[in-house]
Amino acid sequence: MSDSIDRDTFDHLVGLAALELDQQQADYLLRELNNQLKAIRELAAIPLDESVPASLHGVPYASAVSPELRADVWQPHPNPEEIIAQAPDTRDGYIVVPDIPHTTLE
Amino acid sequence: MNDYEAVIGLETHIQLNTTTKIFCACKADSWFDPPNTNICPVCTGMPGVLPVLNKAAVEKGVVLAAAMHAELRPLSYFDRKNYFYPDLPKGYQISQYDQSLAFGGYLDLPVPAANGQPAYIRKVSIHKLHLEEDAGKTKNAGHERLIDFNRCGVPLVEMVTGPDLRSPDEAAQYLIRLRQLLRWLGVSEADMEKGHLRCDANVSIRPRGATYLNPKTEIKNVNSIEAVRSAIEKEIERQIREVEAGHRIEAWTLEWDEEAGVLRKMRSKETEADYRYFREPDLLPIRLDDAWKADILKALPELPLVRRQRFMNAYGLPEYDADILTSERNLSDYFESAVKAYGSDPKRVSNYLMNDVLRMLNETSKTADRLRLTPAYLAEIIKLADAGTVNTSTAKSLLQKVEESGMAPGEIVAAEGLAKVSDDSAIRAVCLEVLAESPKEVESYKAGKVTLIGWFVGQVMKKMRGKADPTLARTILEELLA
Amino acid sequence: MELCDIPAYELSLLLRQRQISAEEVTRACLERIAAVDGRSGALDAGSLTPEDEQKVHAFITITRERALNQARTVDQKLAAGEDPGLLAGIPFTTKDIFSVRGTPSTAASRILANYTAPYTATPVARMEAAGAVMLGKVNLDEFTYGSSNESTAFQPAPRNPWNPAHVPGGSSGGSASSVAAGEAALSLGTDTAGSIRQPAAFCGVVGVKPTYGRVSRYGLIAFGSSLDCPGPVARNVVDAALMLQTIAGADPRDSTAAKVPVPDYLAQLEGGVKGLRIGLSPDYFRIAFPDPQTGEYREQSLPMDIESPVLRAAEVLASLGAEIVEDVPMPNTRYGIPAYFVISRVEAASNLHRYDGVKYGYRTRQPIDDLTKLYRQTRNEGFGLQPKLRILMGMYVSAAQYSAQYYQRALRVRTLIRRDFEQAFDRSGKHRLDALLTPTTPTTAFKMGAVYGDSVLMQYADQLTVPANHAGIPGLSLPGGLDADRLPVGIQLLGPDFSEDVLLRIGRAYELATETEDWRKVKPMVLR
Ligand SMILES: [Zn+2]
Repeated sequence: MSDSIDRDTFDHLVGLAALELDQQQADYLLRELNNQLKAIRELAAIPLDESVPASLHGVPYASAVSPELRADVWQPHPNPEEIIAQAPDTRDGYIVVPDIPHTTLE
Repeated sequence: MNDYEAVIGLETHIQLNTTTKIFCACKADSWFDPPNTNICPVCTGMPGVLPVLNKAAVEKGVVLAAAMHAELRPLSYFDRKNYFYPDLPKGYQISQYDQSLAFGGYLDLPVPAANGQPAYIRKVSIHKLHLEEDAGKTKNAGHERLIDFNRCGVPLVEMVTGPDLRSPDEAAQYLIRLRQLLRWLGVSEADMEKGHLRCDANVSIRPRGATYLNPKTEIKNVNSIEAVRSAIEKEIERQIREVEAGHRIEAWTLEWDEEAGVLRKMRSKETEADYRYFREPDLLPIRLDDAWKADILKALPELPLVRRQRFMNAYGLPEYDADILTSERNLSDYFESAVKAYGSDPKRVSNYLMNDVLRMLNETSKTADRLRLTPAYLAEIIKLADAGTVNTSTAKSLLQKVEESGMAPGEIVAAEGLAKVSDDSAIRAVCLEVLAESPKEVESYKAGKVTLIGWFVGQVMKKMRGKADPTLARTILEELLA
Repeated sequence: MELCDIPAYELSLLLRQRQISAEEVTRACLERIAAVDGRSGALDAGSLTPEDEQKVHAFITITRERALNQARTVDQKLAAGEDPGLLAGIPFTTKDIFSVRGTPSTAASRILANYTAPYTATPVARMEAAGAVMLGKVNLDEFTYGSSNESTAFQPAPRNPWNPAHVPGGSSGGSASSVAAGEAALSLGTDTAGSIRQPAAFCGVVGVKPTYGRVSRYGLIAFGSSLDCPGPVARNVVDAALMLQTIAGADPRDSTAAKVPVPDYLAQLEGGVKGLRIGLSPDYFRIAFPDPQTGEYREQSLPMDIESPVLRAAEVLASLGAEIVEDVPMPNTRYGIPAYFVISRVEAASNLHRYDGVKYGYRTRQPIDDLTKLYRQTRNEGFGLQPKLRILMGMYVSAAQYSAQYYQRALRVRTLIRRDFEQAFDRSGKHRLDALLTPTTPTTAFKMGAVYGDSVLMQYADQLTVPANHAGIPGLSLPGGLDADRLPVGIQLLGPDFSEDVLLRIGRAYELATETEDWRKVKPMVLR
């Protein structure tokens, strides 16, 4: 695992992450990312045989302690308007955002 | 076209008809609700919320998977599919990825005869079958988009076929049969207009007889049977044009604009696909143990295509009848009950159903199980006609009367005196009356307009309120007019 | 002693005897806040004044009227002879990572600065239902991403009441500092890698990281969803038990909140430690970290100031009848941080997707006609560097081509870490421990600015706490003494799943046995 993140990969990540960075931030973040990668490189050296499964949670959830699934019963939320009141831009009950342009095939 | 064949796979999204959403207690159906009113912190992805899985969504998914002959996993997981879209409030969709509820499966699709080609069966394999949450709705408004979260979190099953379909017609047939099955199982309303059943189509072409796969395009948003047919047709034509012009087909994502009837290419930014799937840490795996599975599947009915075949084999019905009678589960149950009550000649029952009962169902937009004209009453009416107690037209009007009143056919016949009059003298007296009242018509008849006999019979029937034996009336009239 | 310095349990007795009123208690806390807290954290706060450098700055939002109203309600119930609840009239603060309906719920980030939560987190709702009085929302590292609180977008950042030139620790720094400074008796914090225990240790208070699934996460703005645990910060073990009693238990809104009955923590609290097997592990008396210059791994034993309180505690517990088991191997402890770098980043990056300027929080003010640009501008302006760093790292290690190499592997390493504990706690194993006794942190509170900016070194402050988060097991940090600079040192108890009752019992035994020691009489600097 000798890989480090180069500038192109970094720029790709920034795009995927829906971020846009100035040069100074980009330099700092790229440096820190590569430092962290060095730190996690240790993982590669850990002997892991086939008997070691992945743990999604540390605590095992036996069925006896796992909560039941939810019964299919309608319980309307009492104040939906408080939710929409948080939106930066609304009109007629809708949340408004700018468009994503399309192109038509001729 | 003849040098090429189309290779089509369909990705369907099926809205399950649960009462509530998949991860919160908002109701699933908000078709008639104003925007952003059927929402809560969970389905709008407010900071800090957690999903809680709806048991009914799992159960309906299990029923569908079993009906598709898919293998159910005793342990399945939810994953996060990460992408940005304004109608996806959490920025990820909770879906199932590598360990989904079920895998494999197939549908034996009967393709009807058309254009001189005989009917055949197309085996359509199912690649993927998983549970997931729906996103909200986005509406274009000039240079803006309007977002409605009401639909966020509605339970969906995503079902993806193999590249097994070979024509736009087959694709359409698949959707028709799937829609039938979903309603049959009671897991989805499957109303395409309301988006309960949505479809994306993967389309490629290759030289006829080739076995390899060419790059495919994905057509999104084809949400009616007709749209599937025309969008795929258009895309096949386009791909043939491109190939013949020496161009390569690129793996575009296209959007079908139903109103304009055109395909639009979506910007590649929107379709960039590294979803960085990983297990949803906020949910535990679904444990489908044997007891629960058995409990769910004990309600699994005979499947429509199986029943269709059985109707042909066991009752000797023509394919046409069997197809219509199994188009809908209530109707086919009704038919079977009526046949049982009638005791013989299923075809005779089928004729009554296909001609009269179906019309009644269409006119009242009822389902067969809601008719007051029960299968037993239908059988009784047919028997009354068979025994000559009522004539055919009385029998048909009895159907309506039973439906309107809810009374037993025999009671109505007795109460209204509808039993057929076969007494020669009674009919003869009325015939004489009619002829006496209609000198002009008698004159015309005698002048050679013999088609008027039907009119005379009608007059007699009218006077006798339908009870006369029409054959006898005709014989007497002809004799009197001779 | 002022009312605000009295621990919760004693306050509740006084309140029930009606010797004091809830309103008096609340006012005493508000006065203490006015005296020591200084200005609350705010965006674009400008530079620090010399006075700022002497204050605690625990709060982002002080909910004064809400608190007074709650206190009066409790007083009315007491007057009417009604049961006002287990925590009636007890003042507490809430880390501003919890949603509380009608209050700003900021996660200490610009991106949520203008967000008012429309619902209340389960642990907060349970506190309030038990009659506790919420004084306000306290500061933290932005989205909990840090171990010092310096990364908050709401400056001035909290400072350590024991010495305001030092950090309070993090990410529950506002929680620990508010409790240590007598601003509130209790605080609700969260622990993802040590975020309750480390600041509790730094500020000389008690912090509990419950078993994963013991306390509902509903309403906790997520960082590492498979690691996050809400838990109490308190001034002593009794108060921590009282608070855990209130917030623990299954919740229909959290599918991971386990269906395990909640024991009566208080009833068993003073049951003593006789016969309990308490382990010491050499792997918790050293840390491994990359050299800041070369990046090479170095192993280093812990300073004496950190080590000796733990060994002293072992002696105390032994004298009370516990059996001390030495040399318990915990070989995978050192992998805690690298595995954490991967797991928490993947979860964090995904959890931060929702902050996009569409439905709540910050949206860029620049005129924008393209949705993608709106996302990018909003997230660029709204997130600080630490969230950006976690997003990018999470994106990288969960990318389809790297996921097996990093993320899947990290989840398997988590299994190894868990196995260390399972073996140590195995009833029929070699060690059969009831608890493992360790230092909480490798150092005492460091100076502000000393580590900030170096994301790797900052993370290694969590090396002794993060294994419990991977394994899901409970941990308790309690004051174990002071170092040469009169800064608190924490000792940590780790136990099997859902053994909070045992950990609290051990902690209480230790607390009682050391009650009269001199170091316990020293007050934090801001209160001297
Ligand atoms: Zn909802």
